[in-house]
Amino acid sequence: MTAHRKLLSGNHAVSYGVMLAKPKVIPVYPITPQTPILEKITELQTAGELDADIMTAESEHSAMAACITASLTGVRVFTATASQGLMLMHEMLHYASGARAPIIMANVNRTIGSPWAFWPDQTDSLAQRDCGWIQYYCETGQESLDTVIQAFKVAEQVMLPAMVIHEAFYVSHSVEPVEIPGQETVDEYLPPFTPEHRLDPAIGESWGNVVNQEMYYRHRQDMGRAMEHVCDLAQKADQAWQELTGRGYGIMEEYCCDDAKVVLATMGGLAGTAREAVDILRQKGLKVGLLKVKLFRPFPVFQVRKILSAIPKVIVMDRNYAPGTGGFLHQEIKAALYGLANSPEVHGYLVGVGGVNVSPENIMDLVNRAMAETAFPESVWVG
Amino acid sequence: MLEIRFQGRGGQGAQTAGYILAEAFFQTGKYVQAFSTYGGARRGTPVSTFIRVDDKPIRLRCDIEKPNVVVCFDPSLLTGNVLNGADENTIVLINSQKSREYFREYGNFKLYTIDGLDIARKNNLGRIVNSALIGAFAKLLNAPELKVVEQVVEELSPVKKAENIRACQDGYLQVAGA
Repeated sequence: MTAHRKLLSGNHAVSYGVMLAKPKVIPVYPITPQTPILEKITELQTAGELDADIMTAESEHSAMAACITASLTGVRVFTATASQGLMLMHEMLHYASGARAPIIMANVNRTIGSPWAFWPDQTDSLAQRDCGWIQYYCETGQESLDTVIQAFKVAEQVMLPAMVIHEAFYVSHSVEPVEIPGQETVDEYLPPFTPEHRLDPAIGESWGNVVNQEMYYRHRQDMGRAMEHVCDLAQKADQAWQELTGRGYGIMEEYCCDDAKVVLATMGGLAGTAREAVDILRQKGLKVGLLKVKLFRPFPVFQVRKILSAIPKVIVMDRNYAPGTGGFLHQEIKAALYGLANSPEVHGYLVGVGGVNVSPENIMDLVNRAMAETAFPESVWVG
Repeated sequence: MLEIRFQGRGGQGAQTAGYILAEAFFQTGKYVQAFSTYGGARRGTPVSTFIRVDDKPIRLRCDIEKPNVVVCFDPSLLTGNVLNGADENTIVLINSQKSREYFREYGNFKLYTIDGLDIARKNNLGRIVNSALIGAFAKLLNAPELKVVEQVVEELSPVKKAENIRACQDGYLQVAGA
């Protein structure tokens, strides 16, 4: 089918991205607010649009274990989860990256219990930032669809798994016009997955044997080297996608940053609302810009230093929180800017934690507040 | 930009109604965004559905704090925050057999009522009032075009398509105060 536009929720947009990428194995376990992804994938399979084995597991831990073993046989693998499900997978997340299994997983950001809730909060996936997975944060359903396809391309080049992440409700359940690319376009962009090594009795390779200290050391170093290529490869993958479809996002996006005196920095859906705030403040004569961080792992340190080096003030908005640490993006941006001559003053505000609503007015208030105060080293609760 | 809030309880069809309305606006060439928030997919818990309609792509990812329209599926929700941000310019449509005057105490709005339950029952739809409310909405806003709404109701109703279309037409004709 050729490219066509229809109204889709963010979750269903992901499902169509998956269909077009043609994975062969999809181990699943349902959880709110991710379940519509799997429901639509199952519908597409039943309708004959997707030729994949869908395996229902008894837990997310088992679903991820099945993803790893399936991926090691050399086939393309997808799964999706959220919140508690991601928590239960934690052990297997490390195993997947260590086994160099380029699984793509969608995660729908949702608060982690206790207390029990269903609201958009990015702490679930950000707490997995050190598991060796590539992490993309998306603002719209269209971006999530496009990013699933890009993620397969990047992950399979470096043999590392990748998460494509969007927030509960504001993106996952938001129905919007989405363009579904044509299959020929995706086939042209994403070649079949044919890894050099795979588990196949006919070849006689294996994975999972015990190693000594030096072998483990070298293995971790190799993972790091693979990760070092990701920023560049992700940038190229996005450019190639843009050439084919007209849609590109970069690994981070600068919005009105050229002459900016103050730059807002955030991830995911908040970036959309921040665009409105930037436009209104610009009309009032304030030179504000927005830095949308899309690729969070690996963190694009050099790009961040380049973009923010001439900016006097940076305001980081985190819809996530680690007690004892603060906002994840605030922490990462401060670390990225360390040692830079003329480093900007970095304000970190905790907004929207627990899914609390963040309006353009809230963001404008934040800018006014930051203009009037000196940045604190720690993240500050707002609202 | 037109900003609309549907307030109902899980199982009443407020979410589906929001999506039907979004699809109808989309089919008339508008940019739309519709999403729901709820505390777990359970019957009876409050569900808010937010719909934005505009002539250009919609970038906001936040709740609607100052709605142009509030559609309330269940008057028992009116004691909560259902009317937050509504003012004298806000169209408030309440699903109730009671008259508009009964709800005056809640504030100064452009108030309308529709007996969605009566319409649903007469059309063999039990307690599912969403088609009637969508019809009433189309009348009050003069958009989307009733013909398009009927078409989308037919496309998206999983069962009882003819009954839902009739309920939609009845809602269009019977909304009180229009």
